[in-house]
Amino acid sequence: MSNVPAIDKSIRFKAFRQEVTRSVGALVIALAVTTVIVFLTSKAPLDALTQLFTAPAAKTRTIGLWVDDIAKLTLTGLAFSLVFQARQFAMGVQGQVYIGAIAASFVVLSPIGTTPFGLAAGVLAAMAAGAFYGFLPGIAKAKLGANEIVSSLMLNYIAIELCNFLVRTSLPLPQAGVLTTVDFPEQSVLPALVANTRIDLGLIFAIVAVLVVWFALYRTSWGLKLRLVGHNARFAEYSGIKSTFIMVSAMTASGALGGLLGAVFVQGQTWGKLTVQFEGGLAFEGILVAIVARSRPLAVPIVAIFYAYLRQGASLMNVRTDVPAEVIGVVTAIIILLVSSSFSVNFVSKLFRRAPAAAAVQSAAK
Amino acid sequence: MALLEAIGIGKTYPGGVVANDGVNLVIEPGEVHAVVGENGAGKSTLMKILFGIEQPNAGRLVLDGKDVSFAGPRAAIDAGIGMVFQHFSLVPSFAVYENVVMGSEPRQGIRFDRKRAIAEVQALSDKFRLKVDPLPPVSSLPVGQQQRVEILKALYRNARILILDEPTAVLAPQEVQELFVAIRSLVAQGKTVIFIAHKLPEVLEISDRITVMRQGKTVGQVKSSEVTEKSLAALMVGREVTLRVDRKPTDQSKRVAEVRGLRVVNARGTEVVAGLDLNVHAGEIVGLVGVEGNGQAETLEAIAGLKPIAAGDITLSGEAINGLPVLDRRGRGLASIPEDRISEGLATGATVAENLVSTKLTDRRFVRSGLLDLKAIRDNATKLIAEHSIRVGGPGYTVGTLSGGNMQKVVVARELSEQPKLLLVNQPTRGVDLGATQFIWRTITDARDKGAAVLLSSADLSELLALSDRLLVLYRGRLVAAFLNTPDLTPETLGTYMLGLSTQTAEDMKPALR
Repeated sequence: MSNVPAIDKSIRFKAFRQEVTRSVGALVIALAVTTVIVFLTSKAPLDALTQLFTAPAAKTRTIGLWVDDIAKLTLTGLAFSLVFQARQFAMGVQGQVYIGAIAASFVVLSPIGTTPFGLAAGVLAAMAAGAFYGFLPGIAKAKLGANEIVSSLMLNYIAIELCNFLVRTSLPLPQAGVLTTVDFPEQSVLPALVANTRIDLGLIFAIVAVLVVWFALYRTSWGLKLRLVGHNARFAEYSGIKSTFIMVSAMTASGALGGLLGAVFVQGQTWGKLTVQFEGGLAFEGILVAIVARSRPLAVPIVAIFYAYLRQGASLMNVRTDVPAEVIGVVTAIIILLVSSSFSVNFVSKLFRRAPAAAAVQSAAK
Repeated sequence: MALLEAIGIGKTYPGGVVANDGVNLVIEPGEVHAVVGENGAGKSTLMKILFGIEQPNAGRLVLDGKDVSFAGPRAAIDAGIGMVFQHFSLVPSFAVYENVVMGSEPRQGIRFDRKRAIAEVQALSDKFRLKVDPLPPVSSLPVGQQQRVEILKALYRNARILILDEPTAVLAPQEVQELFVAIRSLVAQGKTVIFIAHKLPEVLEISDRITVMRQGKTVGQVKSSEVTEKSLAALMVGREVTLRVDRKPTDQSKRVAEVRGLRVVNARGTEVVAGLDLNVHAGEIVGLVGVEGNGQAETLEAIAGLKPIAAGDITLSGEAINGLPVLDRRGRGLASIPEDRISEGLATGATVAENLVSTKLTDRRFVRSGLLDLKAIRDNATKLIAEHSIRVGGPGYTVGTLSGGNMQKVVVARELSEQPKLLLVNQPTRGVDLGATQFIWRTITDARDKGAAVLLSSADLSELLALSDRLLVLYRGRLVAAFLNTPDLTPETLGTYMLGLSTQTAEDMKPALR
């Protein structure tokens, strides 16, 4: 029995390799389709593709944008992974980001903001507010049976509009009519790690968050309970695990991560102030990151590296050529479709080898 | 000439599971042909291939001397093959006749000709002696009659060959006899029946010839008249097996669990347990007998704390446990092997090691200040895997990769890793092969011999008779009979009470209610 751990490792490695092949296969297929679309729609397709594939790594400034996206996508990807592992489909990260950002803004624009504790106070306030905002759909589901997808999506709208409202009414603006608060005091802004780029303390927060979430899920009893609830809630109840408590706590912890992302947004080098619609839809892209990473915290940053590159490439292509950034939506959609279906590289090769037989099997399976 | 032949069938599922490997099956017209084998022997896969649900990777099918291949069930139905699955595919709210004709309704213009449909179903049911009223909704029928509706469905589509997948698993002994009458009448009128089963006495009773499968291969075809139950079992498992366990005399004086006036109401508001009293003593196995759905499962769930109770008291070692959460009940020495291991007893996506500690996450051996002791968890798994000879590569494999029997061993290993005071067992060996059954029976009996009070429910009467010290028969959530398990107690006697055909008086029950 002494060789058992070795076997464990080898099967884990095999599963890991399979997942990687799957994801890379999906990426290649998606990019191939994108290339075709660019060739069909663009007047200068080669130029557009060059921008998409090389621009993010071309200059220090663009690398900064890329790394900044990696940190943020990692945080949202972790937040989604946490609820997905408990098989809760809470979609509330966007709302938590806004609520967290609002809380951080109120704290750092108060007298606390100019003290040495301003930065930490802002971040902690954001996490607390985000946690509360994640807790709401959880408790509504546990006590009232409210569907968490619906309630969390609705809470997103409330948070976005609340931010809109507060910026216009309650927060100090540099001049009337703009939709941006005054700049945060310097003590409260996350310091840049690399000068003149957007790479700031948020990257460190993201790396720490990856380790904390991994540790919580795989090394604590709370994490094991959470994963057992995710695998089979009835089984968890039968084993004596209080699955509603686990569910609510998972959504609350995920909310804290969402709130942290909110602070990283507004207290970071990108903004350093609160503005309406500051998040630009990034929070939701954590769903893609979590799905491709199979909700594994250690895989989240790796997926984020690739996805952030594509995201920046698309936006630079949008600015510099005639191909709109929306093309990247095609990539995203194809990747999600392939990764979340029972797609495997073998299946694709089989599909090409003997398409009719495979089709017959499929229809028979229905 | 054979009516249907499968020659050299091979089927490998994606993922590399070889389900069939050179399987040969010869079905003669007008016979009842049984296919027997342990779970995982490949019976179901073979039937799915015959019915067009799965496509073989190798071999061929010959029907009426001509090569055929079925792209789907539709093609198989058109060729005259019908199949009745273990889990019925009926629309519960539709009437019997609607279920039978659905998909090929008689029409008058574009209208559904109900009168003709009813008449046709009635005629079919008379012709084949499958007595069932065409008018009531299927949901109001007992399981035995629902099965007849399934058979009628196949016959309505002109099936010449009828495949019955484990048809007796859900039936009481009397209903089994009725099914056999119907099968004989079908054969007498020229139909051919393929009968999948693993209860050997039934197989020997109904079939003309038997094909035995083991580990994806056909290991033999025999005439029923030429084999005995024992030689057939040996053929199935590849070695001699004795399916019986010895129960040691134990001290049964201490009352461990008491249930008084238990009432359980289900989600639809119907009373499923209607005022039940029972006691279980240390060192005895009490069998709950009944056709499925007569309150046995709910009784066990109520005691385990998984179902709220409407009224009544449950005590364990003299302390009331109603209202206590599951973990507290487990802490007081309750263990439970649930009915459905996949949906309730295991997390199939988690590893064997994680499944084996799921009930012990407050135990200081495995969890200290909220942190998992991974080494202790792995050592625990390695130990239990060895003790229960669970066939798995190691503690880190996910439970979903195990066979049914080995999954059940994981459940049993977890629940009995510490000697329980009260053990609740529901369908411990359903869908489990003979080797594993033997092992699980042994383990349960060992727990009893060491002083556990065991409450056992099973759909398999032979299991109840093999294991129990006392038997309590439930009908519609009430106790209708109680027996001490003596050698002269037969399944037929129990069956009379299970079907509610008679009820013992309180006086008759008294000796067996302690």
